[in-house]
Amino acid sequence: MLVFFAGTFTANAQGEALFKAKCASCHQPHKNGTGPKLFQVRQKWTDGGAKEGSIYQWVNNWQTAAAGDPYAQTVSTWSPTAMSAFPELKKEEIDAIFEYVDGVTDPAAAGAGGTDGAAGDVTGADPLEEEDSNGWMWIILSVIFVTIILAVGGVRRQLNFAANEAQGKDSMDHLTYAEELKAWAWKYKTYVGVSTLVVVIGLIVTLFLGLYSIGVVENYQPSQPIAFPHAIHTGVNGIDCKYCHSSVEKSKSAGIPSVNVCMNCHKQVNGRTPAQQEQIAKIYDAAGWDPSGAGKYTGKSKPIVWNKVHVLPDHVYFNHSQHVVVGGIDCKQCHGDMTKQVETPKVQTVGDLNKIEGNIPLTKPTLTMGWCIECHGAKEISTGSIDSKNNGYYNEIHKRLLNNDKSLYGKYLEDGKVTVNELGGWECAKCHY
Amino acid sequence: MKMKFKAIASIAVVALSTLMLGSCTADADSSGLEYMPDMYRSPAIEPYVDYGEIRGRENTEAKMKISSLVPPSGTVPYYGKDSSTVALMLPYFRKASIAFRETHGMYGADLTVTDEYTAAASDMNPLKITAENSEELLKSGKTLYTAYCQHCHGEKGDGNGPMVLSGAYVGVPNYTERAAKSDGQLFYSIYYGLNAMGGHSSQLNKKEIWTLVHYVRKFQNASYGTFGASGEAIAAPVAVDSLSVKK
Repeated sequence: MLVFFAGTFTANAQGEALFKAKCASCHQPHKNGTGPKLFQVRQKWTDGGAKEGSIYQWVNNWQTAAAGDPYAQTVSTWSPTAMSAFPELKKEEIDAIFEYVDGVTDPAAAGAGGTDGAAGDVTGADPLEEEDSNGWMWIILSVIFVTIILAVGGVRRQLNFAANEAQGKDSMDHLTYAEELKAWAWKYKTYVGVSTLVVVIGLIVTLFLGLYSIGVVENYQPSQPIAFPHAIHTGVNGIDCKYCHSSVEKSKSAGIPSVNVCMNCHKQVNGRTPAQQEQIAKIYDAAGWDPSGAGKYTGKSKPIVWNKVHVLPDHVYFNHSQHVVVGGIDCKQCHGDMTKQVETPKVQTVGDLNKIEGNIPLTKPTLTMGWCIECHGAKEISTGSIDSKNNGYYNEIHKRLLNNDKSLYGKYLEDGKVTVNELGGWECAKCHY
Repeated sequence: MKMKFKAIASIAVVALSTLMLGSCTADADSSGLEYMPDMYRSPAIEPYVDYGEIRGRENTEAKMKISSLVPPSGTVPYYGKDSSTVALMLPYFRKASIAFRETHGMYGADLTVTDEYTAAASDMNPLKITAENSEELLKSGKTLYTAYCQHCHGEKGDGNGPMVLSGAYVGVPNYTERAAKSDGQLFYSIYYGLNAMGGHSSQLNKKEIWTLVHYVRKFQNASYGTFGASGEAIAAPVAVDSLSVKK
């Protein structure tokens, strides 16, 4: 028994090695790819009426097999991609490959228990709640405080009335609260005037600061035609941002991939769960790909309209390549950690962005002008010597500073660093023209 | 008098708050009201901006119908006046084979030839690697490889990229063991795709692909791109596989 197992094991090991070296780039055991699935292919050929041994001839050179066997001829029409010839494979080796393939269990039939790659979603609810409860505490405290003041005031007033009555005067009795206040304010008009001015100015400043802090676009998460999970693509599968957003280093916009880029992987990857399959089917629809059988492009493509997430008004100029190539900024510094973005993309809040390692902590909401300005004021283009980034971009400005205005240059290097602002990053016309 | 002031004040408060609240919207797909839409949508068309509806005025002709397209076939980006750069960047003269219509899409491409992959074996890499540019060339090759190839082909070219390890993708060959393809065939495969792999011409320009061709040579020959004291190449010629011919 043991010997039998050992025997099959070595045969399988040889078959597995051969399969992976020679066949696996086109064939899979249970799924059609560039070539058809190979599970029980010998049985299939026998059932289909193939001549004895013609399958081995096919592997050695498919053209001779197709010429001699009508069944092999029909197999050659399965896909327009022809199979490579493997004249070096012996019959036993081919059998070993088939033995191995027949022994592979179908992962789809084994249940969809695979990793779906949904990384635990990180909710930023805790700090928010804390802030909220803090706010409520202040409101409750101030309500209690005001109640006490009013109560004390009321008691004092009643006592005054009682005292006046006892002395036989009743002049104060007819004064309402408002009239009383008016009389009091007139009495101390200088103090009241000044403090009112201070309070009004304070309120106006607070109002404006409050308005500035409104995140116009933070957390904006429009619906998308396809529920694209960044977490699976760039997190689990380690695909670089630039693979799909390939114009980020060459152009103003990072680029939304055209559907042929999706198909570079999705020709083969069609989803493990029904929900994933449903979404990927939309890509097939758009690309005009018919996944049945060998799969083929039909030529009937459909457009996809993605919804723009990061909306900058036209009067602001922003260039991705300048920030990525020259500034050396990583995507996640402005877009957040997309390896954890399970849902469709959204504009990250400045609080979340501040948690990204290496980011300068900013206070103004994401995508507002204050946010840009704050970063330009703090971000150093280099530490020490201006061209220490070695991409040569700042060499020219370095030279001009040296030759034209040495005092200015000295000022720049006073604190040993040069920020974007010091090179004109706060000039209006840098972004507005 | 007092009543009049009160009325004016309350109208003002209501108007102001309506104006402020107006920019908030329950529609999750709306990025908020644009108070000055002509400052949001430029007369010069910007990418990915929908011009179909501005302040209630519909313009069906300008409505966005597709987000992203590959460049029309035959278009040439402007690469300056340097003739060697222009020669390098001119459209690839080899055509994808007819079979690619069904296997790789390539809508709109000129698919008339049956097989140029075989002929591509004789194409030389126009980007010459020398003692001076070797380090820089291989460095940019590594950057490109990390972004465009590594997730499938693996950091060392052994076919064990994160996509393969996660089980999402199978059948990526180990190129450290296989006999090499010729430079021209490598270029052809990256440009148009081969078997399961799709074409990458929409993501990479010709110079970048030729740089990658240099970089992947290092997987088969670790001394590729190193030069002796007198500037002669140390790397032994890579064994080229001339067999893998597809129709």
